[in-house]
Amino acid sequence: MIPVTYRASFSYLLRHPWQLVLSLIGIVIGVAVIVAVDLANSSARKAFLMSMDAITGQATHQVIGGPLGVPESVYADLRVEHGIRQIAPVVDGSISIGGASAQLLGIDLFAEQEIRGFTGDVRSAETDASSLFVDFLVEPGVVTTSEHTARELGLAVGDTLEVSAGGRQHEARLVAVFPDDGNSGLERIVVTDIATAQEWLGQAGWLSRIDARVGDGDADALMRLEAALPDGLQVLSAAGRTRSTADMSRAFMTNLTAMSLLALLVGLFLIFNSVNFSVLQRRGLIGVLRALGLTRRQLLAMILIEAGVIGLVAATFGVVFGVALGEQLLDLVSRTINDLYFRVNVTDVSIEPFSVIKGLVAGVGAALVAAAVPAIEATSYPPQLALTRSTLERRAGRVLPLVTLIGVAGMIAAVILVLISGSDLVAGLTAVFLLILGFALCIPLVVRAASTIGAPLAGKIGGSSARMAVAGVASGLSRTAVAIVALAVAVSATIGVSVMVDSFRGSVSQWLEQTLRADIYTGSLREGAMDPALIEAIRKLDGVETISTRKRASLEDANGRTQLRVFELPPAAFDGFEILDADPAEVWLAWEHADTILVSEPYAYQNQVGAGDRLTLPTDFGPRDFRIAATFQSYDINASAVTMSRATYARHYRDDSIDSLGLYLADSADIDSVIAAVEALSADGPRLYVTSNEGLQTESLRIFDRTFVITDVLYWLTLGVAFIGILSAMVALQLERAREFATLRALGMTPVQVGGMITAQTGVIGLLSGLAAVPLGVVMAYVLIKVINRRAFGWQIDMTVAPDILGVSVLFAIGAALLAGLYPAWRAGQSQPAIAMREE
Amino acid sequence: MPGTPIEIQLRALSRRFREGEREHVVLDGLDLDIQQGETVALRGRSGSGKSTLLNLVGGIDAPDAGTVTVAGVDVTSLTEHDRTLFRRQHIGFVYQAFNLVPTLNVADNVRLVLELNQVPAVKASSRIDKLLAAVDLADRAGSFPDVLSGGEQQRVAIARALAHEPAVLLADEPTGNLDDTTADGVLMLLDKLVRDSGRTMLIATHSQHVASHCDRVLELHNGKLE
Repeated sequence: MIPVTYRASFSYLLRHPWQLVLSLIGIVIGVAVIVAVDLANSSARKAFLMSMDAITGQATHQVIGGPLGVPESVYADLRVEHGIRQIAPVVDGSISIGGASAQLLGIDLFAEQEIRGFTGDVRSAETDASSLFVDFLVEPGVVTTSEHTARELGLAVGDTLEVSAGGRQHEARLVAVFPDDGNSGLERIVVTDIATAQEWLGQAGWLSRIDARVGDGDADALMRLEAALPDGLQVLSAAGRTRSTADMSRAFMTNLTAMSLLALLVGLFLIFNSVNFSVLQRRGLIGVLRALGLTRRQLLAMILIEAGVIGLVAATFGVVFGVALGEQLLDLVSRTINDLYFRVNVTDVSIEPFSVIKGLVAGVGAALVAAAVPAIEATSYPPQLALTRSTLERRAGRVLPLVTLIGVAGMIAAVILVLISGSDLVAGLTAVFLLILGFALCIPLVVRAASTIGAPLAGKIGGSSARMAVAGVASGLSRTAVAIVALAVAVSATIGVSVMVDSFRGSVSQWLEQTLRADIYTGSLREGAMDPALIEAIRKLDGVETISTRKRASLEDANGRTQLRVFELPPAAFDGFEILDADPAEVWLAWEHADTILVSEPYAYQNQVGAGDRLTLPTDFGPRDFRIAATFQSYDINASAVTMSRATYARHYRDDSIDSLGLYLADSADIDSVIAAVEALSADGPRLYVTSNEGLQTESLRIFDRTFVITDVLYWLTLGVAFIGILSAMVALQLERAREFATLRALGMTPVQVGGMITAQTGVIGLLSGLAAVPLGVVMAYVLIKVINRRAFGWQIDMTVAPDILGVSVLFAIGAALLAGLYPAWRAGQSQPAIAMREE
Repeated sequence: MPGTPIEIQLRALSRRFREGEREHVVLDGLDLDIQQGETVALRGRSGSGKSTLLNLVGGIDAPDAGTVTVAGVDVTSLTEHDRTLFRRQHIGFVYQAFNLVPTLNVADNVRLVLELNQVPAVKASSRIDKLLAAVDLADRAGSFPDVLSGGEQQRVAIARALAHEPAVLLADEPTGNLDDTTADGVLMLLDKLVRDSGRTMLIATHSQHVASHCDRVLELHNGKLE
């Protein structure tokens, strides 16, 4: 049975259901955002790992080569000449089927049993494992896929389908499906014979890799495999490759988690606010209970248990909403991961018990932390019957300097943490939170000063109602401060994130303008090289003065993956690279003639290298040292990049493929005409993209904007939490001041006047929140740009503060506060003076 | 009543309050003995220190100097925590403004102190029934305070104050919020229950009428008892 003291306490909450609901909503949204981000992140990561696990199968190691892959002949040599059996060739790449992206896995069914079980486990009436062998061997364009994928794509066994690969359309036939038994790792994987995959992906004679199964600790087998490989090929651990790819997105996921924690931080202020209010409003009850013999410890336990129960109930709802929200965020997260890092197919959120527990712990923990201060304060009440409001406000006023001092200490700690933590991202994010908390603690003192100074001025302008409205903010600081802080923190987060995104966009836009020097860009739509004959034809087109070529490649060794860009550049394009740490003239002099490379600024930052350093890269002739001639500014979405000249590339890699061109036109040439000519030339071949310089810039910025959609969603949710907070604070304030309003009504104030006074006060609260948010927001933007983005992605961004962002944010704060004040204002206006007096 | 033990003993009791730079002496070296079973009225003007004295006797407040001994316990030597436990067991309060817990019904308001004193549930229920019958509110056990009249609320407060059988009952203007007729009824009831159970009562009051019900009347004036 619940003790009477607890019933007395809980009944109070149940008698004020709206206040209870509002305080619950703060935690619900905070927990929901955390759970949603966590589930979206973990689902995307899990989907990737499961997919890699399914594709890797029993393979423990993978033989990989240079940019083109592994020569097909190597596989035959390993099997025939060296007698290595537990290996299987793989050709893989991206395809699309009816607009849906999928991964094509080209395999050799004879070798598959050694590595992947699922490919032989077909399930259909007409096809068994042996007939599948025959189909794969004799019929080109035969594919299988999982039952789930077939269902999802609306395919049945025997159907023909159009597959888009390497810029061309190919006809395929689904001859069988294999069971997935709930294994989502097999989603959107289409299996075909290796020859078909090579043809479709334009990889004739080449394999993407050779999968190998080496027994645990069988060092001899591994050494035998390594010894049998020609120069330029290497054996890497399959698990290590998967892990290093998955880890590429870690910084992105950490940033999202930090954003979700920000929502909880704002929620924390709200819980503090609501617990604080409920304690203040029950000070009479607390006084009675204390007088009757409730000890301080019992009182503390009572308030904390109450907060814990509220936290648990709210966190449970938060988890439920979090799962639903996670479904929505998953699409945004996986799209961004696809844009930035690696391909991942994920359609359903997988509910991780750990994420649910984290959400519950965060909700209950936040409620307890937020309740701790008011609970401790309540135990300090003498067991007298009613502390007067003036006593409470005096107390609040007395602790204000100490609170401000702690805030200043928090901000100093944030600066020190940034200075001593090197490039550690988590330390950087911790510093951001310290900064927010520190600044937040300084806000009440500033608010008191502003309100005290502003009250006489308001009186002169708007009379006694206006003076009471402004002065009420300071005189009720114990109630108004937390609401102001919560709104200010939320608005400052929007300023910080908006200024960061705006600055980033500005820098990227400027960089694109500088980097993209050609008039037209064209290239293969998906992975795959352009036809050399087509390149020559384009080079000879009327109006084309010169061209630049580009090849994207991914180099891999035991240390991970390095994105390589290979350029053949006309001198006109040199200016497109902003050289940061060397003399450009010297850099371009050595560009083609020596084994030099350029590294992008993010790559240089993340790998701590710069001009003059040497970098070892895997080549077709084994690992080679390259001299870094310079670092150049880059906001390439793939973050890390090494750039080398075509001439240097040709000396180290047996690959003359080109995947895109930049066309430099004569002054007299018409861009649209040349684009039409290129399209006409490529009409019969693989599909190409052809776009003007302006078009490419627009498309790049569109992708940029897309990657920040999730950030937008998160900060709107944070603002939602703040809005609920201020609404909750205003309602509670109105309850608290019922007698004061009743007195004013009794003295002759009309409902409109009382309502107007409350509205004016909420407006002042909004204004002060907005003004307080500006400096915090700008500082937050600075830290996000110079510390967080730098540490997470290596980007160096020029900070620009657009005045309209600040203005809109302040207006938003005022608007949100006014909106939140409408109901309390109406309610206060409607209350009957006699009833209000009697209730008190 | 010679030979009757002393229930409340004050020695050189002083309490001062600071108001900015000014120090306000509310109680100035009080000495007082109240015997077990005695009812004493404490009279004085507003602000004379009656409530302060009750708070000191009840262990709600601590003196600046002097001692308060109640039921043989030196209350002033106790820690705040021990004063709370002492108050819980030995003191019953009746206030002018009733101070019932609005979120609890009549029975639960009485049960509250019994639960704090860890009285077993069955015994507690039986005592609540008896007390509510004694204050003539047996049929209102399930009602909440906001539907009771002032007199009824004060009768619940009296039941609550006596529920845990305290040694001392402290009443601060117990009839101050009631009309004369109701006040009379409440006073008679309080007097009867206290005397029947042999408890000691200290009442702070303005009222001569209330004071006349007591064995002894003390005047508090300029911090001194007269």
